Amino acid sequence: MKRNKNKIRYGKAERRLKIVAVTVSLLFAALMLYPMIFAVSSSMKDNSKIYEVPPKLLPAKANSVSLVLDYTGQEFESEEEMKDVMMQDNVLAMFGTNFKFADQSIMEIQVYGMRDGKTLFHSRAHQMKLQMECDYGIYKRTAIKKEVLLHEDRYIRACESIGYEFDPQGLEVSVEEGLGTQFEQDISSMLKEKYTTSGNLIKIGDKTKNILNLESFKYYLDMPAYIYPQSERVVKYGFLTFVMNSVIVIGFAMIAQVILCSVCAFVISRQLSPRAGKFVLLFFLGGMMVPFASIMLPQLIMYRDMGAYNNYAALLLPFLYPYGFYVYLYKGFFDQIPGSYFEAASLDGAGSWYLYTRICMPLSKPIISLIALQTFIGNWNDFFWAWLVTEDQNLWTLNVALYNISNNAGTKQNALMGLAVVTITPVILLSILFSKQLKQSIVASGVKG
Amino acid sequence: MSSKKKNSLSAKTGSYMFRKKITPWCILFLPMAFTVWLKYYPIFRAFYISLFKYDPINPPGKMIGFRNYQEMFRMQFYWDSWKNTFIFLILQLCMCFFIPLIQALLLNELIKLQKCLTTLYILPALIPTSVNVIIWRWIWHPDYGVANQIVKFFGGQPQTWLSDPDLVKFCIIFPGVLGGGLTVLLYLSAIQGVPSDIMESAALDGCTGFKKIRHIILPNISFMIFIQMIMCVITTMQLLDAPYMYASGGPSGASTTQGIFIYNAFNDDLNYGRGSAASVVLLLVIAALTMIQMHFEKAEKN
Repeated sequence: MKRNKNKIRYGKAERRLKIVAVTVSLLFAALMLYPMIFAVSSSMKDNSKIYEVPPKLLPAKANSVSLVLDYTGQEFESEEEMKDVMMQDNVLAMFGTNFKFADQSIMEIQVYGMRDGKTLFHSRAHQMKLQMECDYGIYKRTAIKKEVLLHEDRYIRACESIGYEFDPQGLEVSVEEGLGTQFEQDISSMLKEKYTTSGNLIKIGDKTKNILNLESFKYYLDMPAYIYPQSERVVKYGFLTFVMNSVIVIGFAMIAQVILCSVCAFVISRQLSPRAGKFVLLFFLGGMMVPFASIMLPQLIMYRDMGAYNNYAALLLPFLYPYGFYVYLYKGFFDQIPGSYFEAASLDGAGSWYLYTRICMPLSKPIISLIALQTFIGNWNDFFWAWLVTEDQNLWTLNVALYNISNNAGTKQNALMGLAVVTITPVILLSILFSKQLKQSIVASGVKG
Repeated sequence: MSSKKKNSLSAKTGSYMFRKKITPWCILFLPMAFTVWLKYYPIFRAFYISLFKYDPINPPGKMIGFRNYQEMFRMQFYWDSWKNTFIFLILQLCMCFFIPLIQALLLNELIKLQKCLTTLYILPALIPTSVNVIIWRWIWHPDYGVANQIVKFFGGQPQTWLSDPDLVKFCIIFPGVLGGGLTVLLYLSAIQGVPSDIMESAALDGCTGFKKIRHIILPNISFMIFIQMIMCVITTMQLLDAPYMYASGGPSGASTTQGIFIYNAFNDDLNYGRGSAASVVLLLVIAALTMIQMHFEKAEKN
């Protein structure tokens, strides 16, 4: 009874509006989420499923294939020679299977070398690793044939890149139990005909391991190292180089803006006459309104003459002036701090430095976080300036790197989507976590501007 | 003795007053100098370069007066790029501009979903263009993309999308149709800022549902809409990243905006003079638009 009374009774028109609002809003939400879900699912597809038409929303099941090669009864002159033969077989089996059964979603291949019932050799490779060696690495622009795979020391480098274990006394690992036999026929006939291995193929088993689709991300992050082998830092840190550069640039921008704008706003708000303050504020606001497109050319020439080209100075210098809008926001906040605080302190002999650091800043924590957030939102998307002034890969910010990698002809779409997802996931998570502060800052900054 | 003391005291107060007056300007000197150096000086530099047949090796080359401007205005490509910019602008205004407004109006009616959906609507603003480009280039892909699948599903002919000069502008603007972004929040806060007594009296008079939106809310936030429209015009005029990343200004110059025209002038043609001339013209146009915006904002305040 009581509840019924409190319920607001909507009229017919109002109810119709509510229904429309809910449906249309949910429709928009679904539309907006679709590209993101699409990106996540694409990034987990394997190298051939990504090119399937029509594209499916969910990635396919990931298969893990184990191949067991038996060397019992074969004579080897030394352990070294046995290892060599096993490595050759390993490369043949892995790259052959990956190449010939590209459309079977085989995401992982494990090769076991057995002799007298003991496992002497074990190697495991993810599909993305093999594909990257084929696209950019050791087997770049080569046919996947037996002679090519084993040419000179290629197979040794390939094995070292993939990783393997070898012990003539026998390894701890053994083949998993309960494997399926889905690929047994096809793979064994293929390996026998095209890539004759020295060891006898005694067992081929498969298993579904969907977690392997997630493991692809690890290799996406390493991909820049394969595409740009000329850059030392990219080879060492992979995609993290670009993340670091972005963090440096955005972090610098945030710190610079928070400090510079607050100093300027403090002076305008507390030490200048209102007329002079207005003039200075307009001066800063005008500087912010100059469109980038119309000064990029003289700016580029100017920076180049100074030597700020293709180094961090070029990336960071543009943030070294106070953004008028932030000064404006700061000023609005500082104006509201009671003047008696400042008067009391100056009567006690406090200088402007003391007033600024000890009185103004501790009181303005909310505005500082607002400015930092605004700087992040405003400059996170910056692309063109960084694109103009950087040549070396180790200076690229995320946006520049993503653009360049996406323009690289050989890059597979799933890898690109993977990198895109890696780029936005932390930001999206953080924005959901801090959504309250984010909303407040947007509203606070937007109403006045 | 006493006069001496007095003198020194007055000198001290004088220097104190002087110091009090001069300190703020001393502090402001560096930021102001940097603003001039990084923002204002390049404008004059652009104008200066535009008067020269600029030689990048031995700058500034030969002074030729306004011939760069004359030459540029005679170029078909230059006017094409203005035309492209305006088509982008019209598309943006027709396709994308009203979406955030609709979203905000509907969002205002929701109660439980509001919080969760506002968070969702912010996300597009946090996704950088480079990521958007990667996702949407794949959606528009002629062979493997979703767009052609949808067209085929409805019985249409598959298109080449970003490689089609007629469709490329549509493809670049279309991602904005999904709406979202910071504007939704600005509209929402403006709508919620409509005085509640107006809303209540309207409700008592039987003005509910869509009538309420049309007769009460929209007139009350019309100023906000107008300001957002001018902002939209200003940002679209400077459109540079998106067309460049989607199609590098192609195919056959169909997505070349003013920004890309300037970039091509100095990057491909190495014609710094023409690039600067275009920069100056663009600056004047945008400055005029900004003036209009400021004028109206001032009028509203009064």
